[in-house]
Formats: sequence, structure tokens, C-alpha cells
Amino acid sequence: MFKKILIANRGEIAVRVINTCREMGIQTVAVYSDADKTALHVLVADEAVCLGDAEPTQSYLNMEKIIAAAKETGAEAIHPGYGFLSENSRFVGKCDQAGVVFIGPPAQVIRDLGDKITARRIMADSGVPITPGLTSAEADAAVMRTEAEKIGYPVLIKATAGGGGKGIRIVHSSAEMADACASAAREAKSAFGNGDIYLEKFFTNARHIEFQVLADQFGNTVHLLERECSVQRRHQKIIEETPSPIMTPALREKMGRAAVTAARAAGYVNAGTVEFLVDENNNFYFLEVNTRLQVEHPVTEMITGIDLVRMQLEIACGNKLPVSQKDIFGRGHAIECRIYAEDPENGFVPSPGKIAYLKEPSGPGIRNDCGVYSGVDVPMAYDPILSKLIVHARTRDLAIAKMVAALQRYVVVGVKTPVAFLMDVLASDAFAGGNVFTNFIDTHFSSWHPETGDADLALLAFIADEMAASRKTGQKISGEDAILTPWQTLGAWRPGL
Amino acid sequence: MEYRLNVNEEIFSVEVENSGKHGFRARIRDQEYDAEYVHVDDHQIHLKVDGRRVNAYVCGQDDGKIISIRGRCWFVSDADLAGQKGTRKKGLGPGLQEVTPPMPAVVIAVAVREGDVVEKGQGVVVVSAMKMETTLFAPYDGLVKKVNVCEGDKVMPGDILVDIEKTGPDSEIEAE
Repeated sequence: MFKKILIANRGEIAVRVINTCREMGIQTVAVYSDADKTALHVLVADEAVCLGDAEPTQSYLNMEKIIAAAKETGAEAIHPGYGFLSENSRFVGKCDQAGVVFIGPPAQVIRDLGDKITARRIMADSGVPITPGLTSAEADAAVMRTEAEKIGYPVLIKATAGGGGKGIRIVHSSAEMADACASAAREAKSAFGNGDIYLEKFFTNARHIEFQVLADQFGNTVHLLERECSVQRRHQKIIEETPSPIMTPALREKMGRAAVTAARAAGYVNAGTVEFLVDENNNFYFLEVNTRLQVEHPVTEMITGIDLVRMQLEIACGNKLPVSQKDIFGRGHAIECRIYAEDPENGFVPSPGKIAYLKEPSGPGIRNDCGVYSGVDVPMAYDPILSKLIVHARTRDLAIAKMVAALQRYVVVGVKTPVAFLMDVLASDAFAGGNVFTNFIDTHFSSWHPETGDADLALLAFIADEMAASRKTGQKISGEDAILTPWQTLGAWRPGL
Repeated sequence: MEYRLNVNEEIFSVEVENSGKHGFRARIRDQEYDAEYVHVDDHQIHLKVDGRRVNAYVCGQDDGKIISIRGRCWFVSDADLAGQKGTRKKGLGPGLQEVTPPMPAVVIAVAVREGDVVEKGQGVVVVSAMKMETTLFAPYDGLVKKVNVCEGDKVMPGDILVDIEKTGPDSEIEAE
């Protein structure tokens, strides 16, 4: 096993990777930007290297600086986390050249699967069902129109590169086609440096269900069951769970086999996720492979008992997968809520700033993967995720109840968060019913506002706080601003002399 | 003692009477409460209201306090003090009448120049924060009087990025 690795990321995911390394006796090197000098991942690592300016291209996206930091500290491998350089095949190439192990799939696999067209071709060739649409990039809106008429509107114009909801347009009629193509291409060009687009069928009532896969360097490939990720805003997931409320053993068997086939067809090594769309008739279509650890990986860990980061490290250092398909089964139900610094009342706009106070929930079956603490600044330069709250219980209903109770005890003050919003979503009949499609938020919660009816307790708390504050100031005046010694503050209590 | 408190833009009159060292009686609308409190630390107040216990988390801000109870947050301020410390909060609501970013951000693009005629809803500035781009729109038909920012500038909520003089039909409404 590696003796020391570098984590080329920040926030909760860097902390989470460090935690497993600590269990395994692996030394950790954090990297950080000027904006993150006191970030949690820096405070919990064994060593830390400053990369420079907050601007991501100068720090967390700067391949040379990160590889130099690994060489300088003697780290044998780099864990990329998610986002940043995690799906950058050029970075993997540079790691290979520098003799540093990249903890993830080989460069070629990332390159193939990162291009949605190549990925669609690989899957179609190996018999994995793909969404109806084009299998080559297309610049001509007229060709797009012809294809759209063939498969039926609405359709999705999609960038062949990138992800994260960028360079995607829904087109409902041929009149919208030219504009949608132009703006998707422009957005893709500016976000990913590649303006290629293609077209695929858009499913209005679709579920987003993904399968976790693990593959070692010896051709052993397994799946670790599904995750349901249909609750999304701005094409980004906010609640994930496993098992999916619609899953049946037969469908799981079929989709799991397709996921393993997909991974094998791509020559996959390490941890990855095969994403599918599932329509109302439970037909499933390959969407894409995420060639990294997913944000929502903890729900899989909760029900399978398998530490995915540990598996990633085992695979990357050349060990055989310690589990085979028959060893893998899920127990109970797990749900994850993403806690972002954002304002759910105001279109989920980011809400950077100082976290004045943070109190994390805990208890049986509650896990909080957190990258912040009381007093830390949430910089505006990066993704606004603060933490992920995960619960595990015997059934879905019990997990929902546990999540609502855990959210009620989650205190984040200073930046806006969706805690109250998530509580309302989890407690809704719509969510309880499990009828969760990717348009769930737009359908049920598009004009959400927090309940303010019961403001009386808040008023009483305000008054109590005012009273407590005036008592405190009163004390200070009597002490004439002198620094109080324990002899004054201990009151009647005296140490046993 | 009487407090006039503002909770999410609604004013409440609260009659308060001390009772004991850490207690008070309060009347909100026609509801009476018997409250006791323990100041746990600078951010936590443990309340006992009519025998039921609840933890409230408090974060003081320039112009009020954020109170968090059971996962929900309220912004509470003293209505009698409002205005003394400026009216920073005004104009930040959904009925936004100024071109100002909703969050601390960096200017990515400025789409207008001084002297341009803009229509209500036209994109004038694009800002970016935390990987998310937001387009700021002209709040009404008007004439661009001044552009106060350039690409790359760091901007805060309340900063007016573009001054627009109203020319639309409802310009009189603004005067009141």
C-alpha cells in the first residue's frame, strides 16, 4: 500500500479521503489556495502545500504545481476527489510521466468516456441501450431538426464535452432549434473549450438512476447496486438515495449487468459510476459514465458497508478487488442531502460568506461528511458544497424520518443553506410516495418559501438573547474591563486545596 | 417593556415583563408566554417556553439576529433601531430595482455601454460566484447613465453595477 498520498481537492471530499487514509495508516498531503489557508482539509492533513492564488487555474486546476507538490513531499499517488482535475485525462497523462499514481481510471478511459459521442458509440457497440439520438457531433441545425422529427420532441441539445448541466438545452419545437444549438455550443465552448454538440431524446418523466462500479487491474468488475438521484435543481442533484423506490430485483439484475458490461467495454479500472435514465415504463438508457468518485458515494457505502475510497486505494496500488459480486448486497435504506451555501428562496443562488456558527447532527445511522467549521469563510471561488448529510435506517420511511430529524438539528448560521427546504421536501407526500422524477423540484417546489408562521419562538429567543447580552455587559462594567481571572469567575466554587 | 420586532418584514409588538433572574413573560398578539432561558454560549440559548424546552441558535448581524430553531431560520431585528444603521437591506428583495448582484461575485461580462437604451428584462451584466453564472437584468426600460464596473471586478450585494435612468411608462411610480 502507499505510504503517503496527495489529495488534489478541497472541502468535504478532501476531508473524507483523508479520513480513510488515516484508518489505513497512509500519510496525507493536502493542497490549498490562498483562499483556503484555514480550510478544514488543511487542518486535518499531515502535511499541506500552498498552491497560490484562489483562482482555480492558479491552484486546484494547476497540474504542474500539484504534481510538483507530490514530488516535493514524496507522495506516491494523487487522489483527485470529484470536480477539478478528477476527469482530466491530460492530468492523468502528466501523473504517469512524473511517476505518480493517479487514483482513478487510465487516461484513455477518461478521454473516451469524457466524450459523450465516443461513450455512446462504445455502449451501442457492446449492446448497452443508449438514449435515442445522434452518435456523432453535429453543427447543422437542419440536421438536428430532421433527427428531432424522427425521434420526436422534446429533445436535448447537449455538449459532447464536460458536464455539470452546462451546454444543455431542451428543445420543444423546431422553431427553437437554431437558437438552442447556438447557445448550447457557445456555453460549451466557453466552459469546456469545445463547442461540439449533439442531440438526444429528452424524457419528461424520467428518473436518474446510477450504478456504482468497481474494477481492478485484473479484469474483475463488480457493481455496488444503484443510487436514485432524481431530485435535482439546475441539473444538479441535491438528494440521493439507495435503493431506488422503483427498483425490483429483476430490473436491478438487468441494469447491474448493463453497468458491468459498460465498464468492461470501456476498459474501466477503479471506481466509477454508470448513469442511466429510466422512463415511466422502466426502460433504461445509458447516459454517461462518471470516471471518478461521486459526490453521493456515501449512500452506497452505508448500505453495502464497503468503503469506496479504500477500494480506490487498493485498486490503484495494484491489489485485487477483495470482494466479488456475490459478496455485495445492500442492507436497509440510505439517503443523502447535499448542504450547499445557497439560497433556496432565491433560485438557489450561491451564498458565500463566513459561517458564524455550525452544529452538526449526530446519532445512530447519521453521518455528516463536512468540509467546514464554525468561523470559517466559505470562499466564492469554488463550488458551494459545505457538507453532505447521510442517514441509514432499516426502511425508506425510517430513513426519511431520521433525515428530517437530523436536518432539524443541523445548525448553519451565517450563510444561507437549503436545510429548511430539504426538510420540507423530505416531509412531503410527493417524496414519501417515491414518485421522484428529475423535474421533481420544478413540479412540487418551484416557488418554495420557508414557513414563517411560527415566528413566536424566534421572537422569544431574540428577547432572551438581548437579556443575556445586557446581563453580560452589566458584568463587564462592574469588572471595569479588567481581564477576569478564574478567582473571579468561579464564584462560590473553590478548588480543593 | 415593549419591543417592536421585525421578522421577515413583518412587525410584531411584544410586551415583555421580567420574571425572576433568567425568566420573562411575553405577550405576542394575544398569546401569552412564560419563558425561562439559559445562555449556553454566545450562539446558543436554551429556552423553556410554557414548560417545553427548545434550543435556539443565534447569530448577531449588523442590523439584527439570525435565529435558527429546529432547522428553520428567522431574521429578527429591532424595528425601533431600524434606519439608525442605514437601510442596507432595502432593495435586496425580489422586487429588485437596481442592477446589483445577489451574492458576492466577480464580473464576467458587461453587455451595455453608457448611452445605451435598454429594455426591462434585458441582460446587462453577467457575474459569477461559486461556479455559477448569473445574468443581471435591467429592472425597467431606460437609458444607461453609467457603467460602474469592468470585467474581473469583485462586487458585493448592494453595489450598483449599472446606473439606469428610467424611461418606461411607469416612471412616475418610482417617484413616490
